[in-house]
Amino acid sequence: MPPLARRLTRRLALTLFVLWGAATFAFAGMRLVPGDPARVIAGGVQANATPQVLDAIRAEYGLREPIVVQYALFLGRLLRADLGGSYQLGRPVSQVIGEQIGATLALAAGAAALGFGLAVALATLTAGRPRLRALSRAAEFCSISTPNFWIGILLLAAFSFHLGWFPVIGDDGPAELVLPCAALALPIAGVLAQVTREGLERALDQPFALTARARGATEHRIRVRHALRHAALPVLTLSGWVLGELLAGTVVVETVFARQGLGHVVVAAVRGRDFPVVTGVVVLSALTFSLINIVVDLLYGLADPRIGAAA
Amino acid sequence: MSVSDDTATQVDDEPAGRRGSLRSRRPAVVAAALVVAAAIVLVLVVTTGGRDEPSAGRAGAAGPVAGGTLTYALAGTQVSLDPAVAATAVTGLIDRNIFDSLVVQTGPATFGPWLATKWAVSGDGRTYTFTLRDGVTFHDGTPFTAEAVKATLDHVVDPATKSAYAASLIAPYEKSRVVDDHVVEVTLKRPFTPFLQALSVPYLGIQSPAALAKPVADYRPVGTGPFSYVSWEKDKRVTLSKNAAYASPPAGASHQGAAYLDGLVFEFVPEDATRYGALTSGQVQAIAGVPPVNAGRLRSLGGFDLTVQETPGLNYNLYLNQTRGPLKDVRVRRALSAAVNVAELVKNIYFGRFPVARNPLSRTTAAYDATAESELASYDLAAAERLLDEAGWKKGPGGYRVKDGRTLALTWPYWAEGNKEQRDVLAEGVQAQAKLAGIKIERPAVDTGAFVSKYLIGGEYDLVDVSFARPTPDVLRFAFASGNTYAKAGGNVALVDSPRIDTWVEEAAETSDPATAAKDYAAVQHEVLRQAYVLPLYTPVQLTAFSAKARGVAFDAQTYPVFHGVWLGA
Repeated sequence: MPPLARRLTRRLALTLFVLWGAATFAFAGMRLVPGDPARVIAGGVQANATPQVLDAIRAEYGLREPIVVQYALFLGRLLRADLGGSYQLGRPVSQVIGEQIGATLALAAGAAALGFGLAVALATLTAGRPRLRALSRAAEFCSISTPNFWIGILLLAAFSFHLGWFPVIGDDGPAELVLPCAALALPIAGVLAQVTREGLERALDQPFALTARARGATEHRIRVRHALRHAALPVLTLSGWVLGELLAGTVVVETVFARQGLGHVVVAAVRGRDFPVVTGVVVLSALTFSLINIVVDLLYGLADPRIGAAA
Repeated sequence: MSVSDDTATQVDDEPAGRRGSLRSRRPAVVAAALVVAAAIVLVLVVTTGGRDEPSAGRAGAAGPVAGGTLTYALAGTQVSLDPAVAATAVTGLIDRNIFDSLVVQTGPATFGPWLATKWAVSGDGRTYTFTLRDGVTFHDGTPFTAEAVKATLDHVVDPATKSAYAASLIAPYEKSRVVDDHVVEVTLKRPFTPFLQALSVPYLGIQSPAALAKPVADYRPVGTGPFSYVSWEKDKRVTLSKNAAYASPPAGASHQGAAYLDGLVFEFVPEDATRYGALTSGQVQAIAGVPPVNAGRLRSLGGFDLTVQETPGLNYNLYLNQTRGPLKDVRVRRALSAAVNVAELVKNIYFGRFPVARNPLSRTTAAYDATAESELASYDLAAAERLLDEAGWKKGPGGYRVKDGRTLALTWPYWAEGNKEQRDVLAEGVQAQAKLAGIKIERPAVDTGAFVSKYLIGGEYDLVDVSFARPTPDVLRFAFASGNTYAKAGGNVALVDSPRIDTWVEEAAETSDPATAAKDYAAVQHEVLRQAYVLPLYTPVQLTAFSAKARGVAFDAQTYPVFHGVWLGA
């Protein structure tokens, strides 16, 4: 078996293990929360569900079975890639997630692209240039230390309510994505720009940069073609962190910008003890994390051929 | 992250030969100043935003114009569009436009014909015979007949529906019988006067039997109302469009025939600041839940109509669990009530925008008795101290009162998820004032599960705060009848167990004589205040704002806006 295939097989096995672990933790977490799930499903504290209704709910969702049996049934369904049906919405979880994932993906992908793009541009322009760097650094610290929530409100107030450039309510055109993506991307860009610049500056100090300069390469070419590749490794390593930030940030950004998305779904599901939806989203997130890590692993090899050879 | 804290060292580590590194600190100061300046400019832009909204001219005396779409932004979301299933206020508000009811509430205790042209109640108060309007069709083309009324009511009480609210409104429902196409006879297990009020709310709106016959997963709300359902994008919006054939408005409606608006869109905008900004920038024509802090400013902006409505039903009250610990003693209950200066707290926290409550019922509710407040143990710290002394609770070390080695401590669970309108701040005020009288109030923070199972059902609390909006004095039965504890799907969280109160609320619910009902409800209000089962705090207020371009806005007895007669002016 070639080394790459072996590595991929190992990663896939690990992914399955991670999925099982995530699903089990989600199951345990939702069951350990105190309180009668039937009552929460019936509509929470405000609901005036009668005992008959509660009984109907317990029977329908198998809540009267012993916990071990419930767990076995749950794993069995998961093996068949069946996420079950939502308690609250009365529809299959895959359908609920499928409906909302588009909006979240657009937001997360847009924010990730903007975040990485902004970070690389800032770092390339400011590395080793003290005045620009100081300016950029101050802006980066501002964006890192300001919560998404507040950035979102400021962006909305300035560009939507005052200037009217981007609507917050209306059709889901690309214009509607600009502000949410920016709110989500700014803190990420702040961190990534710092890491990228540090890497760039280190690379620019290396003898190869001097060599390239001596051979007449333009400053721009040295930065973009030679140094950036050296700065890429630490940035790639941060991809997992970026994904986590994106997942956590979408919940907040979706609320501020009144967007649809998985963030809303999962918050409502946790509150409503909508267990199949929560596990569905958890399993999906675990899968995304694993896949991104595999991709990052492969990218390491591309960025630095020495890593591929060593593995 | 270690990225953020090594700036200083990084500057020092730089090789001295690099361009400009000797001057590296000064630019940092300049840069910081620039960033601060930019932030200030941004804030200025933000705070002056929205002022340039042209004030919509109201001069045009022209009549109503048909057409256009109105967008109404509201907080909150919903899990089902089936009014029989959902308990959320948002669902009621949206469904009100899709569904007509059998009767309409025209005043605090009066009802008019809607889908039922007339009705008769049998002598024993158990049988209601409704004569139905002729020639009405559902949005799906199904004719509106007695069969639809039967199907709707049966659907509500069916345990498989998992009704969270609607079924509790018609708990005594037994069966419906189709007499002929346009006459339906509803039988109750016992006489129940609030039945008509229950029928008037959107949660019991009449649904198309054809739509109800479909599987739950394919449910679409189909009624006979002025707007028909188009789409629901979860957590985003619900879109409705005009029912051009509409001809069944309720009695007293200012507008007959189809709605003026072509479309009606409900946008879910959970964030207060976003919702408010969307209104002032003209992106929506109306919002629910104007943040109280912005209410004054909205008035001064011009071009918007702010409606302030006191919610009918139970005020935001503090209930005293009379079955547990020190609060078993009425003197301690009255002492707590007298120790708290509610009026001062509510005035200061809400800038006078929320009315101070001195009765468990809000004053817009039928059978509200203003004289009952004479029974309330009003603020009087000296009286509170005297009562506690009498009850044997003596001041101990630390300022809290002690009796038989036990401190006078009360548990008031704090359920953060249900917190709104700065109720947590108000609670801190109550806590601080009770302390002055030597009463210790503890507020353990609890999640929903624990709140329900350990406290509301388990009964391990001394105090619980809640409000409950519903325009009928029958809420007194919901809140104080011994059979209506939370575990039995009621709202008696003070765990009142008084045969007298039970008799009054049952008689009021069963009698067909309004005078008897009023006397009974008044007696309940006096008694619960005399016994200090409840400490009224404030009356919740609905702040709704419409752009002045939207004309003909009216509100129904539930305080929901009625969109049927709304039109968009220039």
